[in-house]
Amino acid sequence: MFRLDSPRGPIMSARMEFWLIAVLLTFAATLAVLLPLTRRKTADAADGQYDLEVYRDQMREVDADAARGLIDPQSAEQARAEIGRRMLKAEHEAKQQDNTKIPGMQGARWVVLSAVLSVPLISWSLYALTGSPDVPAQPLAERMAKNPADGSVNELIARAEAHLAQNPDDGQGWDVLAPVYLRLQRPQDAVNAYRNAIRLQGESAERTLGLGEALALVAGGTITGDAQAMFERAAALDPNDIRPRFMIARGLMQEGRNGDAADLLQNFLDKAPADAPWRDQLKTAIERIRNPAVAAANGPDQEDVEAAANMNPEDRNAMINSMVATLDERLKQNPDDVEGWKRLVRSYLILNRRDDALAALKRGNDALAGEKRNDLVAFAKGLGLELAEVKP
Amino acid sequence: MTVEIGQFALILALTLSLVQSILPVFGAWRHDGRMMAVAVPTAFAVFALIVLSFVILTHAYVVSDFSVLNVVENSHSQKPMLYKITGVWGNHEGSMLLWVLILTFFGALVAFFGNNLPPALKANVLGVHGWITTAFLFFIVATSNPFRRIVPAPMEGQDLNPILQDIGLAIHPPLLYLGYVGFSVCFSFAVAALIEGRIDAAWARWVRPWTLTAWVFLTGGIAMGSYWAYYELGWGGWWFWDPVENASFMPWLAGTALLHSALVMEKRSALKIWTVLLALLTFSLSLLGTFLVRSGVLTSVHTFATDPGRGLFILAILTLFIGGSLALFAFRAQTLSSGGLFQPISREGALVFNNLFLTTATATVLIGTLYPLLLEALTGDKISVGAPFFNMTFGPLMIPLLAAVPFGPLLAWKRGDLLGVGQRLMTAFALALLAVAFILYRTSAHEVLAAFGIGLAVWVMAGSLTDLALKSGIGKVSAATALARFIGLPRSVFGTALAHFGLGITLLGVVSVTTFGTEQVVAMKPGDTLPVAGYQLRYDGLTPATGPNYTEQQGRFTLLDKAARPVDTIISAKRFYPARRTPTTEAGIVTHGVNQFYISLGDDMAGGGIVVRIWWKPFVTLIWLGALAMMMGGFVSLLDRRLRVGAPAKAKAPRPVRAEASA
Repeated sequence: MFRLDSPRGPIMSARMEFWLIAVLLTFAATLAVLLPLTRRKTADAADGQYDLEVYRDQMREVDADAARGLIDPQSAEQARAEIGRRMLKAEHEAKQQDNTKIPGMQGARWVVLSAVLSVPLISWSLYALTGSPDVPAQPLAERMAKNPADGSVNELIARAEAHLAQNPDDGQGWDVLAPVYLRLQRPQDAVNAYRNAIRLQGESAERTLGLGEALALVAGGTITGDAQAMFERAAALDPNDIRPRFMIARGLMQEGRNGDAADLLQNFLDKAPADAPWRDQLKTAIERIRNPAVAAANGPDQEDVEAAANMNPEDRNAMINSMVATLDERLKQNPDDVEGWKRLVRSYLILNRRDDALAALKRGNDALAGEKRNDLVAFAKGLGLELAEVKP
Repeated sequence: MTVEIGQFALILALTLSLVQSILPVFGAWRHDGRMMAVAVPTAFAVFALIVLSFVILTHAYVVSDFSVLNVVENSHSQKPMLYKITGVWGNHEGSMLLWVLILTFFGALVAFFGNNLPPALKANVLGVHGWITTAFLFFIVATSNPFRRIVPAPMEGQDLNPILQDIGLAIHPPLLYLGYVGFSVCFSFAVAALIEGRIDAAWARWVRPWTLTAWVFLTGGIAMGSYWAYYELGWGGWWFWDPVENASFMPWLAGTALLHSALVMEKRSALKIWTVLLALLTFSLSLLGTFLVRSGVLTSVHTFATDPGRGLFILAILTLFIGGSLALFAFRAQTLSSGGLFQPISREGALVFNNLFLTTATATVLIGTLYPLLLEALTGDKISVGAPFFNMTFGPLMIPLLAAVPFGPLLAWKRGDLLGVGQRLMTAFALALLAVAFILYRTSAHEVLAAFGIGLAVWVMAGSLTDLALKSGIGKVSAATALARFIGLPRSVFGTALAHFGLGITLLGVVSVTTFGTEQVVAMKPGDTLPVAGYQLRYDGLTPATGPNYTEQQGRFTLLDKAARPVDTIISAKRFYPARRTPTTEAGIVTHGVNQFYISLGDDMAGGGIVVRIWWKPFVTLIWLGALAMMMGGFVSLLDRRLRVGAPAKAKAPRPVRAEASA
């Protein structure tokens, strides 16, 4: 018997089992060719004999048909004569064949030899080309029964899924699986798992927060009403957890309620213990929410772009307008920035504010010098703006 | 046992069938009995090896061994056991393995029942059969290996196409393949006869049971496929003249012609060359069907994977076998002697008439199927030759053929008496006229075509009963004698009558459902009722439900009779299979006698309603019941004593002991 604790044991013996069966099959197949070739010479009945059997049968049938009146007597007689002629011919053939000699095998030795040898040779070389004898069979049940510590993440998940398909009321199982789904970017599965965990294990800050995140991920990052409700529930369940508050604030910002978001976080910061490790981080975040100018200093960040993508057109325009205003303000203080001027001119054009674009071009033209000025003018020309249009 | 044994057995079978292809044919050429004798054990061994291979693949599906790529691509650990097993052939690789399994099964059957065959013929038949087996096994090993492994093995499979997760997959492909592939035996017999240059009445008698067997299964396979498409696809139709359907219908038409011409050849030694040609053509059409369906030329639920390499490979096999056999035919046909004279008005003449119409019909379907494909290949234009083309060409061809069906079995061999037969068919003719008059009366003469269609169906059915009545002498002799004669009739007479009767049943179903069926597309809200065929249909609303690997919305309907009493509940569903993210519709069908209510759910409407398609299909099940009757007819014919020809005693052979001693 194989010992389960020896990982090489069963695989090695499975391989040996395979080769053993392969050898036996090859042997049997070769015998199927070899045996008829080595049997004692016997002569079969001549072909004509086989035909005669058929004709005798036909004759009996004509008699039966005639008795039943299916064929008139005259035709029956003709048919019998026809069959009789065929029988005579067949008998003649049979006699002729009786006299023919059964040839020996001498001349065909090489044919026989190569036929017999081809069975093991061709089959083994073809298998060598196409087979994978080292890959063991892996029935799912057997893999599931293996020591879990050996398994990969996917294997563990599959194991858990199979377990939960059988025991859908195992709340602890769902509880373990849910955050794994979330991390693997499988939000729909995560939503399902969190819901089951909450149903079976009750609400907790961790579970409701996770469900909220999963719901937001399903919606492509938008904090939907459902998700927001979950974050609020999580915040209520754990008054000291900063994570749900961050998410709520984010939701408020997606609605354009930056002030409310900042207030919420400020409120939390005020009550937070002085030694909380995230104090500085939170402070910066509040700053950023209150003064988007700081955030916009280096152009819109990823979060702003994402937020813009999720807004309705009015909100989006408002946001772009506010960003353009920030840029305009910054260029007044720091005019020697050709890229900044270019961005401003283009932004005004996109917002359909051609006059402002021309004004910005003029200001830039005044503020810049030399190479940079030429660069800006050429850029504006490419957008269809001419300095000449600028009203004095 | 490891999966690799399956792969090894497959390769070993390929090697052995190569030996089976060469040695027996070489032996037959040299008159060497020992080489010829290799054919039988190799045919058995190849079959046994393919069975082993198939069982191992099935086992891999059953235990969800995801180290096998084919299992990963077509199975799922949560799939019900039946579909794990049927899923084995619900994909390209597995279905090709099933094809070869059935091919080698027929090879083994020929080897087993072949004791009454002359040894040289048997060796050649099995040799030619070996060629086909070798070609397809090579195809599988080279391009469609079902045993390809994947390392590391995934933990879950991709599931089977939900449309295929149906009991139909357990029945339709095996039956159809038994039919398709069964004709390979006729092909092998034909090529063997051409090689030997010797063909006679005996040949036809040996071939006929194989033709019958294949025909019975092909009939069943096509009927099952039609019924499956009818209830699964949710379109309410039972035949679409779809190229894939035509691909199976062409061998059936040619096979039906072969069945009848082999009869002439067997009884009268006539039509030899024609029968051989038909045997070649029938299997060629089977191969063409396999090519069309498996190569990806046509896109349908049968197309599992489009791989140009595979298509090219099957095309090469197709060209080799069709071209090769037809070339051999052209080369050798003149060496076959013709025989058996007959008058035009005779049983033989009737069967020639049958063959003429059936082969013309086959050609029609072939043109309608291939023309759009060729046009697209040559010019890139996509045209669709739909039902109108086939109704205009195939339909008119069938009318004279069906009208002639009752005459055939009543005509005498060699020289028949048309007038006499006509007189004997007067009762059947009167019944048909009565049916026409009845339909005209009931429809106020609006449905003239339908009336004649139903009259034709009654004519075919009554005609086949007349044949039985006349042959047992009912009305001429005493009842007791008639009964005795009836029981004593050859089984083939019953077979003929049953098959022809079945044809009439199918025709009756086709005409009725086409003319008198109704279709309604309505938006219904829960509580709404709708009059359908004298009943009231009430929509009760949608209920969610969960299956083993799907979720569904079940639309519930109640059928109320005139007194508003519920008669039946009909459930039609929209399913969703999450593993493949695929929705399917499950038609709700209720059968009343031979009629059916057929309900299919459409899109949801704003405000809680749903679009519902409701069909009333009078006599629709007759279409498939007729096919069942045809199958029964073929089966009864198979049991006929005359298909069991004994083997000759070996007494006349040279004394074996002395031969050995002198050697």
